[in-house]
Amino acid sequence: MIADFGFGVLVVTFILSFFSIGAALYGALTKSYPWAESARRAMLLTFPLLTLSSLALLYLLVGGHYEIQYVYSVTSNSMPLYLRITALWGGQAGSLLFWAWLLSAFTSAVTLRKWERDREFLPWVILVSSVTLAFFLSLVIFFENPFMSWWQTVSGEVAAMFRPAGAVLLTPRDGRGLNPLLRHPGMIVHPPLLYLGFVAYIIPFAFAIAALITGRTDDRWIRITRRWTLWAWLFLSLGLVLGARWAYDVLGWGGYWGWDPVEIASLMPWLTGTAFLHSVIIQEKRGMLKQWNMLLIILTYDLVLFGTFLTRSGVLSSVHSFAQSAIGPMFFAFIGLTFVSSVSLLIYRWNDFKAEVEMKSMLSREALFTLNNLIFIGVLIVCFWGVIFPLISELVTNQKVTVGPPFYERATAPLFGALMLLMGVAPLSAWGHSTIKTLGRALWKPALLAALVMAVILAAGMRNAVALIGFGLVALVLIVTLYEFWRAARARSKTSAENFFLALWKLTGRNRRRYGGHIIHISMVLMAIGILGIEVFQTETQGTLPQGSSLELAGYTVKFDSVAQFDTAGGRNVTRAVVSVFKGDRYLGDLYPRRDYYYESSQPMTIPGLYSTLADDMYIILVDWQPISASGATFKVYHNPLVNWLWIGTFIFVFGILVAAWPEKDS
Amino acid sequence: MTDNFANTAPKRAVPLWAQILVWIGLLGLLGILAVSLMKSQQGTVQLGKEIPDFTLTLFKGYEYNGQPQVSLAELRGKVVVVNIWASWCKPCEHEAPDLEAAWRIYQPAGEVIFLGVDYVDTEPEARSYLAKFDITYPNGPDLGTRISQALNRRMGVPETYIIDQQGILRFIKIGPFASVAEIQAAISPLLAGK
Repeated sequence: MIADFGFGVLVVTFILSFFSIGAALYGALTKSYPWAESARRAMLLTFPLLTLSSLALLYLLVGGHYEIQYVYSVTSNSMPLYLRITALWGGQAGSLLFWAWLLSAFTSAVTLRKWERDREFLPWVILVSSVTLAFFLSLVIFFENPFMSWWQTVSGEVAAMFRPAGAVLLTPRDGRGLNPLLRHPGMIVHPPLLYLGFVAYIIPFAFAIAALITGRTDDRWIRITRRWTLWAWLFLSLGLVLGARWAYDVLGWGGYWGWDPVEIASLMPWLTGTAFLHSVIIQEKRGMLKQWNMLLIILTYDLVLFGTFLTRSGVLSSVHSFAQSAIGPMFFAFIGLTFVSSVSLLIYRWNDFKAEVEMKSMLSREALFTLNNLIFIGVLIVCFWGVIFPLISELVTNQKVTVGPPFYERATAPLFGALMLLMGVAPLSAWGHSTIKTLGRALWKPALLAALVMAVILAAGMRNAVALIGFGLVALVLIVTLYEFWRAARARSKTSAENFFLALWKLTGRNRRRYGGHIIHISMVLMAIGILGIEVFQTETQGTLPQGSSLELAGYTVKFDSVAQFDTAGGRNVTRAVVSVFKGDRYLGDLYPRRDYYYESSQPMTIPGLYSTLADDMYIILVDWQPISASGATFKVYHNPLVNWLWIGTFIFVFGILVAAWPEKDS
Repeated sequence: MTDNFANTAPKRAVPLWAQILVWIGLLGLLGILAVSLMKSQQGTVQLGKEIPDFTLTLFKGYEYNGQPQVSLAELRGKVVVVNIWASWCKPCEHEAPDLEAAWRIYQPAGEVIFLGVDYVDTEPEARSYLAKFDITYPNGPDLGTRISQALNRRMGVPETYIIDQQGILRFIKIGPFASVAEIQAAISPLLAGK
């Protein structure tokens, strides 16, 4: 009943989205505002409808209705309530419905704004959104329907939406359950945040397309979507970091990022999205880079679709791949349509979006921002090549080839270094006109201080060139950015008689985007500290320990006390070791690295024991053990210096975005 | 407030050569995606099917009975565990000690042979990986990715394929083994059936 209702609502929404497409197109072509308004209302209606459909699926998931194929495949009796809810995005069909729901939420929200000043954009924005929504709904309705039931027929069990002739409904007593790897708090929020980021980029994309079609070449589309773009970027960034944290906590290889094709697929829109955040500032301030901004936002959205396609169609295999799915050809057609139409429009309007002014100085702020953009594109090209090269190579030479992490690390590390250098230099350069002299005057003091930091680190005995340069750049960015805050706050407190901290507060409030951006820069270099720490200084050891004996790594001692095996709630068999960690002679505490075995999916999961400080992490994995005898257990131990700064940086990052995106008071 | 949905015409067109270049690039990309999509829909080699013969050239020091090469056909009558790995692959490190431990259990009886297939790698790194985990079973590079093709594999590592005494594929593991017991559980049914 509920399943039929959920599916019925989906179909109604699908038809509605077609009405919206038709009305928007007709309204735009005949310049009839009532039709555009009608399309807008149809668009607004999709959100409550899809909410109903999603609630229907949630009801089935929470209630354990295993006669529904999707419920059967992602939940089980032993799963707690919160996991049943998150199972909504735990499989292909449910996550596509969830995606469509988010899409309608965003597009409805944006159509609620006041349109008086931008009425020419309205039908086109709705058209782009409804076509996309109709596409995702068609996937859910025709290819990956989460509402299908199990039926017993004479020839066997089948999953179908409607009762096949002579079939009876089949209700399994228990489901297969969610993949254990996904039963982790990080996994619960990682996919929705990433989806939010992906989906939210449709807003700037739709406005860009509207600007291209209507030929409105000012920066209005950018101003309207500025805050939307920031939110999209926040969600995408958080999705990426939480995925890293999940890998660190759950996958048990002591790392956080493996240059897996799907990781790269979600990094690529982040790269162009980040470049876009910088380059729109140039267009707003100087009227330059208009073509470039169009290109970047189209690229970003196309890369979002491209990445989703690679993940969900089974073209690339990785830890993230969904099972082989029939949506491939349909998705391919949609990608083709989006790529071809957006590129056609871009070519059609290219010369209308010429810059209003020429760049005057290669050291001006706008020149350095442009350089930053080119470097981001450089990183993108490396990533894109790494993903696409295996496909090309297979096509041309009939050999399967893949590029591993060393390729990406070597190719992108210098580029990321250059980006950090720019982060240090660009805030000191002036808009319009900067010379070596003016820039040098601003730069020499911070540069000297950064060099001093490098000298201190060198004197402390660090000899690794990559780390030395990296920490030097981190120091430069921190000094320059903090100096910017200090200088502006001091100037303000002198003229306005506010005390220093009040001045700092007011100052940031006055120019949220600028100072929010600075806070984000600080967060980025803090993350860089963590990445440098784990990438350059990670050490590891492995040993089989008899009970009571110990193992040493990086000044820590890990003593194996005991191991126990027991069944626990949630259908798990847990093997849990107790180890005590010492630094020198000082006892720091017990850790419990464990191995959970899930009966229903006969899949194990490794959960490391983690002792974490600001300076380093001790990361202990239980690799193997002897069940009865006291002969011991095998542990793998990683020492990950500074990695905590990666997560600390994330918090500051979110704060920085909130500062930048917080609505300004109407003046 | 006007109902202004005006479309202004563009000023000037992009040069033809630039347009052609852009379209070649875009259609080329779409073409590659289309072909890859078609290939991926064919799926990997199936359980219960015979594996086409392949020859593995072995690293020095990791030969099979002193031979520098081994082919699948020669190994008829034995259970063959083909493990595909790479030195840059982190999850592979996870299972490497377990694989070696399992090999040492089966080696004396001679009924099971392990083959390590090093996928897209360089020899010095591969050798230091083998030394690090003290691996002793035959290992060699997947030259020209011929073995990956024989198995019609996708691009992930590690993957393990277990082939029975008649050359029939009986077991596929995508991703690392979690314990020696898991490896044994995959192999022992094939030995019992002999």
